[in-house]
Amino acid sequence: MTIQRMLAKLVSSLLLCVLFTLTAFSQTKTITGKISDDKGQPVQGATITVKGTKTGASTGADGTYRITVPASATTLVVSSVGFASQEITIGAQSSIDVALVASSQALNEVVVVGYGTVRKKDLTGSVASVQAKDFNKGTYTAPDQLIQGKVAGVQVTNNSGAPGGGATVKIRGNSAVTGTGQPLYVVDGIPLDGRSARAGVLTPDLGGAGGDKTNTPAGNPLNFINPADIASIDVLKDASATAIYGSRGAYGVVIITTKRGQSGAPRLDLGASVGASHIMRTVKVLNASQYVQALTYYGVPASNNYGSSVDAMDAITHTGVVQNYSAAISGGTDNGKYRLSLGYLDQQGIVRKSDFKKYSVGFASNYKFLENKRLGLDINVITNQYDENIAPITNNAGASNSLIGQALQWNPTRPLKIGDSLNNFAGTIVNPLSMQLGYNDYSKVTTALASISPYYKITNDLEYRLLYSINYSTGTRRTSMAPYLIALPDIAYKGWAGIGNSELITQQVTHTLNYNKQITTDLNLSAVVGYEYMKFTNKGSNMQGFGPGDGSVGSAGFGNYNLDFTNYIQFSNTANRTIGSFIDPTSELQSYFGRVNLNYKDRYLLTATLRADGSSKFGENNKYGYFPSAAIAWNIAKEDFFKTDLLNQLKLRAGYGKTGNQEFPAGAAQAKYSFTANGGLGQVNSPNADLKWQSDAQYNFGLDFGVLNNRISGSVDYFHKTTTDLLFPNVQIDPAPPGNVIRWTNLPGQVINKGVEVSLTGGIVRTNDFTWDLTINASFIKNNVTGIPAPIQTGTLSGQGLSNTFVETIRNGLPINAFWTRIFEGIDKGTGQAVYQDNGNILHYAGNPNPSTLLGISTSLNYKKLALIINMNGAFGQKIYNNTLNNVINVGNIRGRNIALSEYQAPVKESLSNPVTSSSRFIQSGNYLKMANATLSYGIGNVGKLFKNANLYVTGQNLFVITKYKGFDPEVNIDQAAGASGGNQVPSVGIDYQAYPTARTITLGLNFSL
Amino acid sequence: MKYLKIFFVASFLVLGSLGCTKLDEKFQGDITPAQVAGGSNSVSSLLASVYTSMQITYQDQSNYMAMSEMTTDELIGPTRGPDWDDNGVWRVLHAHAWDGDNLHIRDCFDQLNSTTFAATDLLQYSPSAQQAAEARFLRAFSMFNLLDGWNQVPYRDPGESVIVPSRVRVGPDALTYIIAQLTDSIIPNIADAPPVNKANKDAARVLLMKCYLNKGVIANRATPTFDAADMQQVITLADQIINSGKYQLMANYFDNFAPSNGNISKENIFTFNRVGGQSTGGTGNTINSRWHLTMHYNQQPSGWNGFTTLGDFYNKFEAADQRRGVAYPSLPTGATNPGNRVNVGFMAGQQYDLKTDAPLTDRNGAPLTFTPDVKLIETGDNLEVTGIRVNKYPIDYPNDGSGNVDNDYVYYRYSDVLLMKAEALLRTNAAAGALAIVNNLRAQRGASALASLTLDNLLDERGRELYWEDFRRQDLIRFGKFLQPWAEKPSDDPKYLLLTIPNTQLAVNPNLKQNPGY
Repeated sequence: MTIQRMLAKLVSSLLLCVLFTLTAFSQTKTITGKISDDKGQPVQGATITVKGTKTGASTGADGTYRITVPASATTLVVSSVGFASQEITIGAQSSIDVALVASSQALNEVVVVGYGTVRKKDLTGSVASVQAKDFNKGTYTAPDQLIQGKVAGVQVTNNSGAPGGGATVKIRGNSAVTGTGQPLYVVDGIPLDGRSARAGVLTPDLGGAGGDKTNTPAGNPLNFINPADIASIDVLKDASATAIYGSRGAYGVVIITTKRGQSGAPRLDLGASVGASHIMRTVKVLNASQYVQALTYYGVPASNNYGSSVDAMDAITHTGVVQNYSAAISGGTDNGKYRLSLGYLDQQGIVRKSDFKKYSVGFASNYKFLENKRLGLDINVITNQYDENIAPITNNAGASNSLIGQALQWNPTRPLKIGDSLNNFAGTIVNPLSMQLGYNDYSKVTTALASISPYYKITNDLEYRLLYSINYSTGTRRTSMAPYLIALPDIAYKGWAGIGNSELITQQVTHTLNYNKQITTDLNLSAVVGYEYMKFTNKGSNMQGFGPGDGSVGSAGFGNYNLDFTNYIQFSNTANRTIGSFIDPTSELQSYFGRVNLNYKDRYLLTATLRADGSSKFGENNKYGYFPSAAIAWNIAKEDFFKTDLLNQLKLRAGYGKTGNQEFPAGAAQAKYSFTANGGLGQVNSPNADLKWQSDAQYNFGLDFGVLNNRISGSVDYFHKTTTDLLFPNVQIDPAPPGNVIRWTNLPGQVINKGVEVSLTGGIVRTNDFTWDLTINASFIKNNVTGIPAPIQTGTLSGQGLSNTFVETIRNGLPINAFWTRIFEGIDKGTGQAVYQDNGNILHYAGNPNPSTLLGISTSLNYKKLALIINMNGAFGQKIYNNTLNNVINVGNIRGRNIALSEYQAPVKESLSNPVTSSSRFIQSGNYLKMANATLSYGIGNVGKLFKNANLYVTGQNLFVITKYKGFDPEVNIDQAAGASGGNQVPSVGIDYQAYPTARTITLGLNFSL
Repeated sequence: MKYLKIFFVASFLVLGSLGCTKLDEKFQGDITPAQVAGGSNSVSSLLASVYTSMQITYQDQSNYMAMSEMTTDELIGPTRGPDWDDNGVWRVLHAHAWDGDNLHIRDCFDQLNSTTFAATDLLQYSPSAQQAAEARFLRAFSMFNLLDGWNQVPYRDPGESVIVPSRVRVGPDALTYIIAQLTDSIIPNIADAPPVNKANKDAARVLLMKCYLNKGVIANRATPTFDAADMQQVITLADQIINSGKYQLMANYFDNFAPSNGNISKENIFTFNRVGGQSTGGTGNTINSRWHLTMHYNQQPSGWNGFTTLGDFYNKFEAADQRRGVAYPSLPTGATNPGNRVNVGFMAGQQYDLKTDAPLTDRNGAPLTFTPDVKLIETGDNLEVTGIRVNKYPIDYPNDGSGNVDNDYVYYRYSDVLLMKAEALLRTNAAAGALAIVNNLRAQRGASALASLTLDNLLDERGRELYWEDFRRQDLIRFGKFLQPWAEKPSDDPKYLLLTIPNTQLAVNPNLKQNPGY
């Protein structure tokens, strides 16, 4: 090619270009405008296209766009991820502003239902989807707290105010006769084990073994997930939705979907918040001057007055500082998307020396290969480490051996320190400040959840997907107690150190084939079949030793140099060491499953599922369980006879399904011999070759509706859940192996939960400057137990005078975990002694610890750039057993210890010798309504050219609670399960015992993007 | 393209079938019966477990001791204001008001049966004759205590499934079985003592003596009769033990219970072996609960301020009777007891710091003075100090913290053999010989000679010699005194001669029947 020819070509090309441009110019017009969400916030990255063409533009960070369209164009289509797309007639307008409606209110929203998704309008079961923007606001360590109060029928109870503390999640009532009763959590298609790798060390003098063989409460197994990485949480409630998870679905399924990168320019989102926590509510005990008066009032020697004035609870608590930082970079093309996120949380507890630090790195990516892009690959990795310093607050120690009990009981006239020294003395009273300083408990849990999932579109309708995942979690725990804790008999003048390690591994292989076909114009079929294999490993070890020496008065033990004894545990007393290790039997789960969805004319919907689950845990005679479900729905609003502008959505749903629960330890079905110290060997179980899953059968009838263009929408569901074949750690049939071994059985009998769930969302005010949205959900649940052969005791009280005292029962005709104790009739004015019905010899039903009504209220108010979001939740009808009042701050303690102000001020004077006895006296109403969180935010928008979408907010958590309950918090659930120590037991409900108090937290935060 | 499709479908099927497993559960830290059977020395390990299964039953205060002592005139567990209410479970035992829900009756029944299970299970793994005899002895020992307390003895054959209801031997039938086991299978095959911390021929003879002595009681607990032939069996067996010359009464009564009792006692015939500082592998409280449960919080070591004896029982002792309490020499690292205070036996009156000899106070600051009078529910200002405290086992201070104390737990002693022989003689009208035995024992203990021997003062003597050793309930029933009133216990219904079959077991085993009257 010559230079001339090249030039000629260039010129002609340029000419062509100019010509084209000119022609275009003459026949086009420019439209500008702003795209905002329903709250007036700008929507970045929204796409504006001319309908029927490829002409398009997208919005900037401020939501504005500019598009040049042919003069002939009539309609613009505005769409954005997370919003319903809208079509706007152009007409003569040159400026078009559009307010998008978030797709959670839209019907094309996709809901994750396990091994796939369905359009919300195609749903036949009861599934609630909560998007990130609707999560509870504030600082949370685990995802279950994000949806507290957000979903009808789901009760989330924070068990403890400790940072990283566990929560109890009950979906559609309580049917757990054993185990945790917790739902199955599925993270990006990976069902979790449900246990935590937090290592256990059994600390001497702090009560007996609880969960994971520690005496401090178990942590939250979901702590490894960074809430900032979660895009949505879907809750599968009815059996037609959960049956696809078979033998693990009976307590409901919570599906957590993490955020994904979007194609487009790289985007960096940053967030930072700083906050402060205080104790939300205190338990009122006597102050020093009241205590001195009380000594006289009760006729107790004045020698109990030490002349000081201290507030022990104040001394062990402080303002906890909370810091939370997150960063995420995301982007990619249509053929390769990524999102990398970093998170750091540092949350100090309100109890000194307790804190929670979390380091998170998440990576999610999607790639497409081959020319036809039929081959895809998802790679997701969540890595996390959380470090905790745990306070010596236990579930079941006597009051003098647990920090909160020690502080509540501390004689307010007795100095905590004498000069600079801690006031330590022999006896049975432990100085809480000494306990706090002399106890160190450090836990670290490291988790990696990685999955790789290639998929291939075999035809346009058929897709094969493989998912391989490994969830590896390991924990270490280092706990020590100082020799100067001389009032703890085992620790005194010796000290103690313990180190624990644990490892929890879940491996998974899932194959699925998805088929999706529009068979005729009216009939759509989607189906999935699959095979899944899971393997669970759980093992650990621990070592512990007391300090050197015999513990005689004045011995140094491990020494008092403020060192961590777990760093030199080899110098412990050789005669006083214990070591241990364990590994669970191999535990495997093998499943075949399938689901069919049929949609006829968008009016008649059918879903049917079947799962076959085989588990190595099941007995030889019951290796496989089959879990079917079916559901139908009728979209009445689509019917021709039903054309009204008022009611734009009306769907009736009905479903039935069977699910199971297999929450019992591996190794229960076949005879097992264990080794003991001293070279012993013996059988340790009562094997049951018939052992199988617990069965749930559930009916669900539902109605979804939307009126005024879905401005008001809602659902009503009725459910009836019958739990049978109750897995139960039954008593052995004597003669049986030593150690009160458990005979795992499927108990005859039924636990029935039935109820109604209502949720309503409405836009109350919608003006340009001001919008007000309100969402309310309410659930009404009834629970009843029938047909079990003998009453089951649980609800073990703790502390002095209450050994072997059970206050809850599972028996026919009563709600599960009903309070069952003696009925208190008052204090006799003459003797000061308690009077009980039937002299206290006969126990009676004394209340229901399960709420009859749950309430969640969320409201958001937007005025221009200001937004206020308030989330409240409440529970009603439940009773709480106040074990703290029973024997931590009872009047008998006035001799040297503190007592409850309410008891001192009681009209009738109680005798100090009135025995500490369990009774209905300590069963109190647990009704509450809590201002769970409120956020006031100001959308700054773009700051200069650097910062985009800046948003400044202040959040308050646990601002107040309306209740008559006298403890720290009516939202309480101390694990007081009964049964063999460790392992699975019969759980308790609604017992409060010297729990870690709840914090009120105020956080100031800023989010922006680059 | 088509090939790719085939490839994916094929790989799906292949991977799917490869993934299929048989779902066999494999133990990794435990073993199966097949592995037990295939292992060498499995039986000796199994046998060790049978022994340790008895720790919780006898050494923990809330099980066999609660059944045998708290139900009698020797022991009471008072509720002291904020302490020891425990849902009333102790009070009903002392007051004879228990029912089928009683936790400790249930646990004790389960534990006794767990020993019979472990001993029976061993028999399916081809033990040697000696091993089988040891296991059969431990089973007979448990079965006799079950028979004595509950009159019903559940049993299974070796290897029988533990989730089907067991069969039950009742009353005299069960006794016949136990006697046959002892006579035919155990005594001919079992080794002679020493060591006494293993099942041995003399221990088997003591158990057989108890079978014959109580045979008439088991046949009719309300009005027992004593057959002369049975009494003669008791005497013959006693003579076999006495004439062996292996046993003699100790100069210091409490040597039998001291941390070093395994080495120094010549009276003990059957004990639970404990080595200081070493775990036995057993569960439940160890012997250190014996001193913790009775001592006050402010004593050393700090106690639980629980069980005490009753004033009337304390008053059965003469002041010079060594068994009422002495200052037992302490180990060098323990409390040196400079004031030479009574630290073992019965602790009455003012208590002292055993290191400094300073008088102790209770938690109210009042003198720590243990008083004889004690109520089931204490309501006074002195509620911490009522009741005279009892501890037979000299404290092993160095090992107290871990609970792995050195004191061997004593099941059978020589003095019991002597007293049973005296009783058999007395019941067969040979009172003179009986009196000589009793007075010889009393002289050894520092008590004055009795002028004559009656059933009443023989029962008292058994109380003085064997208090808090878990024989009192059986003795009171055999001597016809169990239903009579004593402090904080009214005269009561004959149904209380038997303990209740636990309701938990009635619910799962139709072959068990609740005892009459409950």
